[in-house]
Amino acid sequence: MRIFLAGLRKLLKRPASIVSVGLLVGLLGLIIIASATVGQSADDPEDGFAARALVTFPGAYDFVLSFLFGLGGLVAVIYGAAVAGSEWSWGTLKNAVARGESRARYMLGTFGAIVVMIGVGLVLSFVLGVGLALLGATIAGVSTAGLSDSDTLARLPAMAARGWFSVVEQASLGFAIATLARSQLAGIGAGIASYFGEGFAAIFLPDIVIHALRGGPGGRRHRWRPWRRWARRRGRRCPLR
Amino acid sequence: MTSTADLALTTRGLRKSYGKRLALDGLDLSVPSGVVYGFLGPNGAGKTTTMRLLTGLLHPDSGSIELLGRPFKRGDRKRLFSVGALVESPSFYPYLSGRQNLSALAATGAPVPDGRLDELLELVGLRERRKDKVSGYSLGMKQRLGIAGALLSDPKLLLLDEPANGLDPAGIVAMRETLRRLAAAGKTVFVSSHLLAEVRVLADVVGIITAGRLVREGTLDSLLQDQGLVRARVPRAQVAVARRLLERVAKTDGDSTTEGDSWLAVHVEPNRAGEINRLLAEAGIYASALESGTDLEMLFLELTGGGAPSSEGTFGVAGASVAPGPDSQGPAA
Repeated sequence: MRIFLAGLRKLLKRPASIVSVGLLVGLLGLIIIASATVGQSADDPEDGFAARALVTFPGAYDFVLSFLFGLGGLVAVIYGAAVAGSEWSWGTLKNAVARGESRARYMLGTFGAIVVMIGVGLVLSFVLGVGLALLGATIAGVSTAGLSDSDTLARLPAMAARGWFSVVEQASLGFAIATLARSQLAGIGAGIASYFGEGFAAIFLPDIVIHALRGGPGGRRHRWRPWRRWARRRGRRCPLR
Repeated sequence: MTSTADLALTTRGLRKSYGKRLALDGLDLSVPSGVVYGFLGPNGAGKTTTMRLLTGLLHPDSGSIELLGRPFKRGDRKRLFSVGALVESPSFYPYLSGRQNLSALAATGAPVPDGRLDELLELVGLRERRKDKVSGYSLGMKQRLGIAGALLSDPKLLLLDEPANGLDPAGIVAMRETLRRLAAAGKTVFVSSHLLAEVRVLADVVGIITAGRLVREGTLDSLLQDQGLVRARVPRAQVAVARRLLERVAKTDGDSTTEGDSWLAVHVEPNRAGEINRLLAEAGIYASALESGTDLEMLFLELTGGGAPSSEGTFGVAGASVAPGPDSQGPAA
C-alpha cells in the first residue's frame, strides 16, 4: 500500500500525467470547436447537420467517450511504457531493490498507481470534454436539452468502466514491454506498433485469412493444407467456399 | 584476526561472470564491525559488481555473502533492511524535490520513522534546497541526497559506491566527518573508491581488488609498513655522492631536477627521515628539504599491476620513472 500511495504521489507530480490529459483534452477541444464552427456556418445543410451532431447532446457524450477511449489507448501505451521504463533509466528501481524492496511488489504497486491515474485522467478529460461540447453547442446554436437525457446518463458508468478497462489494457502492454526490455523506448515503440498493428489487423486480417484459405480471389483450391487434410478425413467441405 | 562475530560483512568465494567475462573470481572479503572499510581497485576490477551483489541487485554464480553475521541469500531481501546503500550514481526522479524523492524512497524497504527525512536533509546540508527539484541539483548535491537516502533506515551497515564523486572540497570534508561519526557510533561503512588520497584519510581498513580477486586486505598501517618513503632535496652537484650514500641504507630511486636541486627518494620507513638527514649531513651534503610519508599509491600500483587508468592522473605520475611523491606528511626538515 505504501508503494501504491507513493506511486500515486509521484504520478500526480509527473509532467507526463498533465501532458497526457492536456493532449487528449486539447485535441478534443480542437475537434469540437472546429465542428461547432462548421455546424454554424456550413453552406451545405448535410455538412452542417453532421458537424452539429458531434456537439448535440446526448450524442456528444458518446463522441467524447469514444474519442477518449480511442486516442486514450495510444496515450496510455506511451504513458505506461514511460513510467515503467523510467524506473530503469533513472535507476530508481535499483534504489528500491537495494533497500530490500521486492521488484515484483514495487512494479505491481507502480502499475496499480497507473491504473488509478488513468481513471482519474479519463474522468477529468471527460468532464472537460463535456464542458467543451457544451461550449461547442453554444457556438453552433444547438439546444443542450439532451444533456440530462436519463437513458444516456444511466448507461454512462458502464460505458466508462468498459472504456477504462480497455485503456488500462493498452497501458499494461506498454508497461510490460518496457519492464521486460528495461527500456522506455522499447516499451513506447512496441506499444505504438501493437496499437496500430491491432487496428490494421482488425481491418485486414479477416480478408487475408479468407484469401489464403481460398487460394486467391475466386480460387477453387484450399492452399491451407492442414484444413484440407482435416476436411478430407471427415468428408466435409470448407465453410468458406 | 577478527572473529566471525565481529564481522559486519563477509564474502566467501564470490564468483560472478557476465557471459564469458569473469567479473569476480572467488572474492573473499572480511569487513570488521564499526570501521570505515576502503574498497579499492582500478576500473573494471569488480568493485561495482561486488556492490550490486551485496545489495541484491545481482546474484552470484557461486559463493556466499553474510551481512551483519547472517547469510544473505537470493530472495532474502529483508536482510537489506539493516543496510543502507548508494550504488553507482545517485538516482532520483528529476521532477520531484529532494524531500519528495526521499519520501518516495522511504515508501520502500524498512519503515522510516517520522521526522527522519528532515533530520537527514539537515545532516547532508540540503535543508535549504529540500523543496527544489532534483533536476536543478548539482552532482554534489545529488550525491549528498544519495547519502541521505542510504541513511534512511538508520542502517548498521552502509555500502557507498564512490561517495566523494562530484563533491567539492568542503563537501568531501563534511562527508568524511559524517562517515567517521557514523563509524564512531558503531556503524560499519564500506566505501568503494578509486580516490586513494580519500581512502587514505577516511578508511581504517582497506581491501584492494584487482581482476575480481582480493589481493590485499588489512589495516592501513599494516599494509603500508613496507611502503615508506623519504625524499631528500640535495644540490644537483652532489646527487651522485648522495645517491651512493643512500643506497647503502635502502633502495633509492632516480632523481628529479628542480631549479638546480634534485630529489632523491629512499624507500625506508617515514620515521627514519632524521637518520637520512644525519647521514647526508655527515658527508657534507645538506638537504634543503626532506619529506616523508607512506605511499598507498605505490602499494596500489604494485598490487594491481600499475595499469590503472584514472581521471585524476595521479597513477600516471606514480608509474613514471621519477620517484613518486609520498602522501605528504609535511616537510620533515
